[in-house]
Amino acid sequence: MEQSLVYLAAALMMGLSAIGAAVGIGMLGGKFVEGAARQPELVPLLRSQFFIVMGLVDAVPMIGVGLGMYLLFAV
Amino acid sequence: MGKRRQKQGIHSQVTRKKIFRIFLIQAAIAVFISGGLLLIDLVTAYSVLLGAALYLIPNLYFANRALKSKSDHSPNTALVELYASEIWKMGISIVAFAAVFILVKPLSPFSLFVTFILMQISGWIAQVKLNNRFLKL
Repeated sequence: MEQSLVYLAAALMMGLSAIGAAVGIGMLGGKFVEGAARQPELVPLLRSQFFIVMGLVDAVPMIGVGLGMYLLFAV
Repeated sequence: MGKRRQKQGIHSQVTRKKIFRIFLIQAAIAVFISGGLLLIDLVTAYSVLLGAALYLIPNLYFANRALKSKSDHSPNTALVELYASEIWKMGISIVAFAAVFILVKPLSPFSLFVTFILMQISGWIAQVKLNNRFLKL
């Protein structure tokens, strides 16, 4: 029973992190395409900005994934 | 066309160099802290190193692939490349975390996660400071 709760916690942690990251990165990609369609000459600049913001968006989900892996394999 | 493509790649190359410099500084700090902890406790010291490696290896791959200058010319190619590198980064992170928790025993999870989270936070601050134009978007 306790072990199943641990697995459930890991699944929730990774699943909710994945949802957050997917929404954030999806919105980011949409804005990138919008910006590129408006000003195609700014694609290299937008690409660098996209890279930086993507690093910000996926940091917390990565921590969630790490903690989930810890629960799965080490607890 | 070739010259234009080369000119367009300059911004990515500059960002890439700056990001690699940040990673180098982060790695040096982690090695320094780990060296200091080696005098106190061996397990804590290598856990700190592993936490730093778990952050640096996927991010190095991501930066290397996402900021390649050759596919700068088309928004579609750039977006596909960015998404593919992000997916690979997540995959590498998951495999690396699993490998560390299965193979490395004993381990100090507190030191590993504190280092990992501090690396993430220092990476955010450094990358936002790196490019002030980000704040004007």
